[in-house]
Amino acid sequence: MNSTSTHFVPPRRVNIYEPLHQFGMWGETFKSNIGNGNINTPSHIIIPNNQKLDNNLSEDTSHGTPLIFDQETSTSRHPDKIKRRLAQNREAAKKSRLRKKAYVQQLETSRLKLIQLEQELDRARQQGFYVGNGIDTSTTTSLGFSENMNPGLYQEQGSILDKNQNLNVKIKTGIAAFEMEYGQWIEEQNKQICELRTVLQGHVGDVELRLLVEIAMKHYFDLFRMKSAAAKEDVFFVMSGMWRTSAERFFLWIGGFRPSDLIKVLLPHFDVMTDQQILDVCNLRQSCQQAEDALSQGMEKLQHTLADCVAGGRLGEGNYIPQVNSAMERAEASVSFVNQADHLRHETLQQMDRILTTRQAARGLLALGEYFQRLRALSSSWATRHREPT
Amino acid sequence: MQGTISCTRHYNMIPAAESPRPLPLKTEKTGENVRTLVEENALIVIGRRGCCMCHVVKSLLLGLGVNPAVLEIDDQEKEEEVMSELERIGVEGGRERVKLPAVYIGGRLFGGLDRVMATHISANSSLTSIS
Repeated sequence: MNSTSTHFVPPRRVNIYEPLHQFGMWGETFKSNIGNGNINTPSHIIIPNNQKLDNNLSEDTSHGTPLIFDQETSTSRHPDKIKRRLAQNREAAKKSRLRKKAYVQQLETSRLKLIQLEQELDRARQQGFYVGNGIDTSTTTSLGFSENMNPGLYQEQGSILDKNQNLNVKIKTGIAAFEMEYGQWIEEQNKQICELRTVLQGHVGDVELRLLVEIAMKHYFDLFRMKSAAAKEDVFFVMSGMWRTSAERFFLWIGGFRPSDLIKVLLPHFDVMTDQQILDVCNLRQSCQQAEDALSQGMEKLQHTLADCVAGGRLGEGNYIPQVNSAMERAEASVSFVNQADHLRHETLQQMDRILTTRQAARGLLALGEYFQRLRALSSSWATRHREPT
Repeated sequence: MQGTISCTRHYNMIPAAESPRPLPLKTEKTGENVRTLVEENALIVIGRRGCCMCHVVKSLLLGLGVNPAVLEIDDQEKEEEVMSELERIGVEGGRERVKLPAVYIGGRLFGGLDRVMATHISANSSLTSIS
């Protein structure tokens, strides 16, 4: 093989990809120039660095160019060095080709998967199923077991599974409604935050501010009501926080925010407070902490009893949960935890409102709203962090 | 900027590991015993055995330095007896639906976890003054 042309990609396998094809054509042209051993020609030939190409390949091109010039000056003197460099170039080009191929294959697979998912999504939406941020669950029973699993394993529980198939559709429709409602809640929330910000930047009377504060508080209370209804439909869903963005989920505590943490985060952002107010807020934070601890302990106990229930009987013999109904009951008990946690959030908001003046409360609610907006924005940035080409 | 804020509140801390005094529920004349228990104890928590919400109420009270008497009901039929007796005790102004877990203070129904929580948050440990 003529060593001078090896760093150009012969077009034999790459005719699908336009840029490479073009490059291959240049390679052909170049080959014809040098192939006959005519080394003196290339010094003035400009090898265009095609922007469309993968960076690695253009790097190889730039490696190739100086080589031609070197050949002019030192061919006869260091044939071994040249041979070695050529070999290295070959290797580099080869690796680069393989990398590009793998990357493109990955893209193709992802593209197909995406098309598939979009189709499933459309189908599911038409049937009124919910498709939240999580995985498509239309092939799992409400107990979370895929229908593909060995049916013999659950034969004696067959009736429970059958009964739950129908409930599954109903539950999912309820959850779908909740997700839609939550989407609208977020939109409304963003509008309110905007308005608060605008109003606080100008001159506004306490009466108008009071109204805005009441509206904002009520908006949060609406959310707690929505969550309560959704928890009755599917408490695991609400608890998982799948209806929220990923960064919010990171801070999740019993299906929502932890009041004492929020107070701590927002405290420096309030307007100037009196000593009594600072003391009251500190006390409130401590009370929240105590209530949170009590609830957390209760949750732990619930989790332990549920785990014991699931692990009951003999594990390892392919039997299902012996007391599955009692396990389900315990799982249902989580509903009251969601309600109590939201009740705590509700009470905390109201107490803050009592401690602060109207203006302070308005600023506090603005800060709170923006904090969550930032968390949601962080989630978006996080989701797209790998998209930049390397 | 508020600078560093430190506030100290002293609660009579009893570690949560210490369990509250459990009370025996005698089988005969259950109703009467319940009433006696409620009347004799300044603060008593009544709940089903193993109920996690009951555990929350207990933990919260313990965290406040309150050592509540606790009545744990074992099974369904005893629960019915207890409930009917409790409903006879009532609050000021007639009968109220009792839901478990229930907290009785000074012989009267105070409320459930809802009320305990709300009181704790809004009144900042008025509960410690009870014990």
